Amino acid sequence: MRRTWLVAATVVPMLVVSACSSRNAVNKPHNNAGGGKGGYGYKIAVVTHGSAGDAFWTIVQNGVKQAGKDMGDTVSYESDGDPTKQAALIDAATNAKPDGLVVSMANPPALKAAIERAEKAGIPVITMNSGEAESKAYGALSHIGQDEVVAGRAVGTQLKADGVHHAICVIQEAGNVGLEQRCGGVKDTLGGTVTNIQVDNNNLPAAQTLIKTKLQSDTSVDAVVTLGAQVAQVAEGAISQANSKAELATFDLNGDVAKAIEQGKIAFAVDQQPYLQGYLAVVMLTLYKSNLNVLGGGQPVLTGPTLITKENAAAVAQLAAGGTR
Amino acid sequence: MTAATARVDERVAHVGALRRLLLRPELGALVGVLVIFTFFAAQSDVFRSWAGAANWLDVSSALGLMAVPVALLMIGGHFDLSAGVQTATAGLATGIMTTYWGLQLYASWVVSLALMLTIGFINGFLVTRTGLPSFIITLGMFLGLQGLNLGVTKQVTNQVQVSNIDLVPGYHALNNILASTVTIGGAKFPIAIIWWIGFTALGSWVLLKTRFGNWIFATGGDPNASKNVGVRTGRTTIGLFMMVSFMAWFVGNTQFIRFTSIQAQSGIGQELYYIAAAVIGGCLLTGGFGSVIGASLGALIFGMTEVGIVNVGWNSDWFKLFVGVMLLLAVLANQFTRRLAEQSRR
Amino acid sequence: MTNVDVREIVEPPKADPPMLEIRDVTKMFGSVISLSDISTTVQAGQVTCVLGDNGAGKSTLIKILAGVHQPDGGQLLVDGRPARFSTPRDALDAGIATVYQDLAIVPLMAIWRNFFLGSEPTKGWGPFKRFDAGLAKKVTRKEMGDMGIDIRDPDQPVGTLSGGERQSVAIARAVHFGARLLILDEPTSALGVKQAGVVLKYIVQARDRGLGVIFITHNPHHAYPVGDRFLLLKRGRSLGDFAKSEISLAELTRLMAGGAELEALAHELERGTGDVGEVGRELLQDTETLS
Repeated sequence: MRRTWLVAATVVPMLVVSACSSRNAVNKPHNNAGGGKGGYGYKIAVVTHGSAGDAFWTIVQNGVKQAGKDMGDTVSYESDGDPTKQAALIDAATNAKPDGLVVSMANPPALKAAIERAEKAGIPVITMNSGEAESKAYGALSHIGQDEVVAGRAVGTQLKADGVHHAICVIQEAGNVGLEQRCGGVKDTLGGTVTNIQVDNNNLPAAQTLIKTKLQSDTSVDAVVTLGAQVAQVAEGAISQANSKAELATFDLNGDVAKAIEQGKIAFAVDQQPYLQGYLAVVMLTLYKSNLNVLGGGQPVLTGPTLITKENAAAVAQLAAGGTR
Repeated sequence: MTAATARVDERVAHVGALRRLLLRPELGALVGVLVIFTFFAAQSDVFRSWAGAANWLDVSSALGLMAVPVALLMIGGHFDLSAGVQTATAGLATGIMTTYWGLQLYASWVVSLALMLTIGFINGFLVTRTGLPSFIITLGMFLGLQGLNLGVTKQVTNQVQVSNIDLVPGYHALNNILASTVTIGGAKFPIAIIWWIGFTALGSWVLLKTRFGNWIFATGGDPNASKNVGVRTGRTTIGLFMMVSFMAWFVGNTQFIRFTSIQAQSGIGQELYYIAAAVIGGCLLTGGFGSVIGASLGALIFGMTEVGIVNVGWNSDWFKLFVGVMLLLAVLANQFTRRLAEQSRR
Repeated sequence: MTNVDVREIVEPPKADPPMLEIRDVTKMFGSVISLSDISTTVQAGQVTCVLGDNGAGKSTLIKILAGVHQPDGGQLLVDGRPARFSTPRDALDAGIATVYQDLAIVPLMAIWRNFFLGSEPTKGWGPFKRFDAGLAKKVTRKEMGDMGIDIRDPDQPVGTLSGGERQSVAIARAVHFGARLLILDEPTSALGVKQAGVVLKYIVQARDRGLGVIFITHNPHHAYPVGDRFLLLKRGRSLGDFAKSEISLAELTRLMAGGAELEALAHELERGTGDVGEVGRELLQDTETLS
């Protein structure tokens, strides 16, 4: 019996190693663009409302990390979708006495007190992504990015131009404020009907079937709007399986979405450039601390929305696959 | 045994065939299935069409495949809260090993199977050795794997998903076995449904017709008594946890092959549905009683409800409320049927 | 007139070694002495009763015989040869079957499943090995029938049977699986008068089939009618190991009741008023009739 184990213990690893081949490694592991010799040495804390496994916020985080490397700053990134918990994270960051604080405000009133405490402690605050309306009022230096509603409206406008009358908006995380705002924005500008359907991002196979069955039950639907790149992929399958002519548009990018746009399977994607939001927020604070520079002239610094269509999809595809777009 | 020597116990009344049917644990679930089907079929012609059936059977099969070993485990007296995230671990492991580290697809399949069986073994080992409630131990495993799934994926891929498995050599053969479709009545039925039916039949056979099945009932019903008569309760428990992990491997990888990508946070929250399906199917939370066929019927109820709500066009914000109400109704129906059946004995 | 020893006529000289001999067995749990120098024997076709109140060490003794614990001193001899039971399986293999107080029965499972639990008959081979349910149901009905119970529906969960019937399932199971020695742990303790009588009948039936029986109880009125040998335990020590001819029911009861201690208690209670005094006076009467 022991001999069998010994034999297995030697033979199996050899078999495993021999089965390795570069032909299988179709994904390239993340390559860090070389760290810049910025040497600023500031401590920047970033506290957002993204949830842990969210693809959009992961790209923001990538931007934050790279900026930290390029600037030579120490960056920390914390997030929680629950505003109460996010406020607690802001307080925790304040207590660590950073040189600058970046906050995304999906629920501005809930965060107001914590932000003001940070400012009173002498920490400059920049808001990003959501909350541009309250940013100045709360004493933030600048705001980078734009509310999700803006992106939603851009989608609605484009769909209207494409002749869409009934769109379904697929919400993959119940109760997520940002997602609800996106659908709300679409509704504002479409001028037709927008029906929200709930699916679970943690169960995408079921999500595909639900989108498919919706298309089969309601043939008046002529567009499907997804709010995340992962959901877009399954929606594509759902549309073709349901033999539907519905147009597919999505928010956010990844490598597969870019490819699908090139192939005409997805009409367009709205890119809010989350990498840029994260990266520039860190840069803005660094330059403020070192040189008292303020970007924006009192206005929010918008990073989008840009529409990725067949024309420009090919160019961004590789970047999207690397997690930077 | 002659009539003269055998004292007939007047209290052991003759139990008719119909009453015997009522006593089966699956009955409540079957009633639930019929009620839900009738309800939605009456309101939506898409629901009752072949295409509609393909949809709700598809959703049910993913839940149902996992409900089978989870039901066996519950009958054996334990819970596995890590069952949902294990499906993600399995798929992510295969994906990372192949598309990032270059391991051949079939080889990484085997390695990922070994990994999942080890996780199952750890769960079972900790439960039997420490004597702590399986709820707590698997909760720890659930949180640990959740963190591991996200952390490792982000570290290796810089994203929260692993994709492009369809580009590796060997993909198409696996795709045909695990992810193809069967056309019936003009609609495409995913082959996972066949796998689901097959595993249900296998699970039921093991439970009801084998010695190991007897040990499952015994270990769940009274572990001390079982140990005293020589049942290997430790081995049975560890075996059951490994069965759950095996199915997590199967489901995680088949979904990965079928959809060509897998999310790091996939499966979170599903473990409660597996348990709910098993309970609807007649499994007692305290163990020792239940049915695999019932658990699959419970999964069918969930699938029909989820798809049916979309078919009839109800506001999907209320979805979870509907599911909760359906679950309670199904469990009550189950309770009621059992009480009725037991009273017939008095 | 020759001097004939009456006892030699009543008890023929033993030629064979006893089926089971317990010799000077001692068991400690940490610093607590659970059993100290306990000895008795069991013959085939005879019943040895182990009597004692709660805390006397009866459970520990059974667990040693069943292979759950190992003795710290003394030895067990099966058919005259020293034996060591490291696991319950060893005891079972030696033909010693234990029917525990909680019966080692799973209430939710059917009678036939319980009957064969741990020793399931199989049909077929390899991965297709099946639990032979047909055979199991047939045997269960037969064995229960031999005990005098007609189980029309072996699928009935055991939990729906009465206490006495459950005992009979456990006993029938032990007998069927080739037990040579049956150890019954307080089978009558939780039963009503009539049910207890029925169980005593099963014990006699088992004895008459040639099994040795160890019958554990704290009730001398149950033990005396069926017992051939009596071992009395008190707080881990043996008060004596007697053949039936050596002791009367009254003496047995007096020894068990603690004789002198009980008299003292009775005097104390007798001085009390109302019901307490009544109890004390009755107790005093009882102890006086026993001594």
